[in-house]
Amino acid sequence: MGTVHARSLDPLPMQGPELGVQADDMDLGEPEHEEKQEVLENKDVVVQHVHIDGLGRTKEDILTYEIADVFRAKSLIDVMKKSHEARQRLLRMGIFRHVEVVIDTAEGANALPNGLDVTFEVKELRRMTGSYNTMVGNNEGSMVLGLKLPNVFGRAEKLTFQFSYGTKETSYGLSFFKPQPGHFERNFSINLYKVTGQFPWSSLRETDRGVSTEFSFPIWRTNHTLKWEGVWRELGCLARTASFAVREESGQSLKSSLSHAMVIDTRNSTILPRKGALLKINQELAGYTGGDVSFLREDFEIQLNKTLFWDSVLSTSLWGGMLLPLGDKPSCIADRFYLGGPTSVRGFSMYSIGPQSEGDYLGGEAYWAGGLHLYTPLPFRPGRGGFGDLFRTHFFLNAGNLCNLNYGEGPRAHLSKLAECIRWSYGAGIVLRLGNIARLELNYCIPMGVQSGDRICDGVQFGAGIRFL
Amino acid sequence: MSLAAEAFVSQIAAAEPWPEKATLYQPLKEDQILLSDSASSLAVQTFLRMCGLPVQVSCCANAEYMSPSGKVPFIHVGNQVVSELGPIVQFIKAKGHSLSDGLDDVQRAEMKAYMELVNNMLLTAELYIQWCDDYTATEISRPRYSSPYSWPLNHILAYQKQWEVRRKMNAIGWSGKNLEQVYEDVSQCCQALSQRLGTQPYFFNKQPTELDALVFGHLFTILTTQLTNDELAEKVKSYTNLLSFCHRIEQTYFKEHDRESQSGSSRHSKGSLP
Repeated sequence: MGTVHARSLDPLPMQGPELGVQADDMDLGEPEHEEKQEVLENKDVVVQHVHIDGLGRTKEDILTYEIADVFRAKSLIDVMKKSHEARQRLLRMGIFRHVEVVIDTAEGANALPNGLDVTFEVKELRRMTGSYNTMVGNNEGSMVLGLKLPNVFGRAEKLTFQFSYGTKETSYGLSFFKPQPGHFERNFSINLYKVTGQFPWSSLRETDRGVSTEFSFPIWRTNHTLKWEGVWRELGCLARTASFAVREESGQSLKSSLSHAMVIDTRNSTILPRKGALLKINQELAGYTGGDVSFLREDFEIQLNKTLFWDSVLSTSLWGGMLLPLGDKPSCIADRFYLGGPTSVRGFSMYSIGPQSEGDYLGGEAYWAGGLHLYTPLPFRPGRGGFGDLFRTHFFLNAGNLCNLNYGEGPRAHLSKLAECIRWSYGAGIVLRLGNIARLELNYCIPMGVQSGDRICDGVQFGAGIRFL
Repeated sequence: MSLAAEAFVSQIAAAEPWPEKATLYQPLKEDQILLSDSASSLAVQTFLRMCGLPVQVSCCANAEYMSPSGKVPFIHVGNQVVSELGPIVQFIKAKGHSLSDGLDDVQRAEMKAYMELVNNMLLTAELYIQWCDDYTATEISRPRYSSPYSWPLNHILAYQKQWEVRRKMNAIGWSGKNLEQVYEDVSQCCQALSQRLGTQPYFFNKQPTELDALVFGHLFTILTTQLTNDELAEKVKSYTNLLSFCHRIEQTYFKEHDRESQSGSSRHSKGSLP
């Protein structure tokens, strides 16, 4: 909760001279002590001044929105609650290292007898923080330099820069973020990036250089993001043995797309939630603002969680998507969907389901995937209350299918195509939660419904990632 | 793949017969292909016709990026992809077809030397004129090279290619030359070829070899391609035996399959020989 000198939110005896209660009074006998308690709780107070101490480059006008609520507090409990909330709001802007709240009686010429002064003592983050890492892996070493400038112009703007220089690839990213003063959830950001990726399941190498701008805003309980992105994509073969279908996709192209995403997230946590639901719907239209590729892409993600008896959680999720090429050019391998692997349908090798050519997986234009999980604490609960709480056992049932939309027949034919030859798998394993961002899994999987051309990974499979089916 | 594995695979491939659906890939003929690429592509097509191997020509905007070595043309035969005339000749030889079997060692060395001459002089001159001469680059090369792409990618790719070629010219010492000197070099190269050809029908004996294919590819393309001025074509035309050499090969190998051969019209090419 942090350091609030008004001690706690519970209606316990308030102690300490800051609250205008004389220490002598507290030393009187019990009954009077009780009386004082009640008096304080029901006492009407007026917040006369709210100060923020310790500002350097931050401009005050954005902070007034966050602390405005404190003025409306009517009783002492209310003041404490509202100052706590204001403290959370100040911290979420990402410009302060810590915030402390001091509630004191009002002082000065026009101080009322029941007036209070609330002071937020803040310490701003440093102007620039940097990090330097070296990474080694997969026959490649690289040096990563990161720079972060929080609160660049004083109104919670953030500038981040990351540069990675490796033996094989170089990539960078520059991002500028600005929230709207008073409405932190409405913000926009501009990104400039170069990313390279190697996809051995398709024998494909991709280099993207792009610029994107996005606006985020909440509407009622949903969060919307509108984004324009322009990307120069370079595709190439990863090895000389790449199949000709992948070789044909090599080359340069420019994608300019508008996309909209809507997210409703009522879960209590992103990784291993215990309750709540998630709905994400994303659509992307490319080709109408320039560029070489032209398509309409839709995808959605649904997740429902419910706590059952004995601390176990039942979780179901459903993913699906569709890519519709507009115009006469076929879809590009970099836009299509992929299925399979430890983060989607377990029991199959990474992205190794669906259309393929000579062992290179080409992805598909329509897919669906579903999962049913039961998470339970580790048997016999070792390390309970500490390290053991990060682990969970889970039992899962995954299913999915992937296909192309080139049959020339109506949507009914595509739906029936997606419904036949379903790949599915079941198994059990252990999940480790890493912070609030990622998780590791070690599963024993039994894949079923395997079609010719799919590559399976039956038996023990390890997975690490941030988004799991 | 390791060298040993590659050699093994190519041995296996060599045993397969020439398939019906062998394809040659080059950039788009109407709008995109430039003089140097057109010459290289024609050389490979001529060579394959001389060997009697049928091949389909397929034009793709991304042919240069599809090629394993980054250069066009390349052929897709069965499972194998081979680019550029030199490796293609080797590949065809492994399949049992060769045009230079009848040559002895001295002649073979001579053939290689002349092929190097054409590659180092004619091809480099073509690249110089296309990319290092500002007028040609602005009027012809950059617009054509970038035609399949949309803005701003077209400008980025065109300038990237131009810088790459200019760097290469720097590296081989051609950046100091001016256009007149380059035309002089072309002239000297043609003179050497003309002298070697003399009055023979082909460069060696009465049978064509890969050298004939290469020389035909370059000379025919120079003669039939419209550049900003006609000076390059004039240099070649001044050697009459080279002119009749080109006529002869065109008549023998291309007129029979006349539907969509190289004599077909395109904005860039002027059609048949003058």
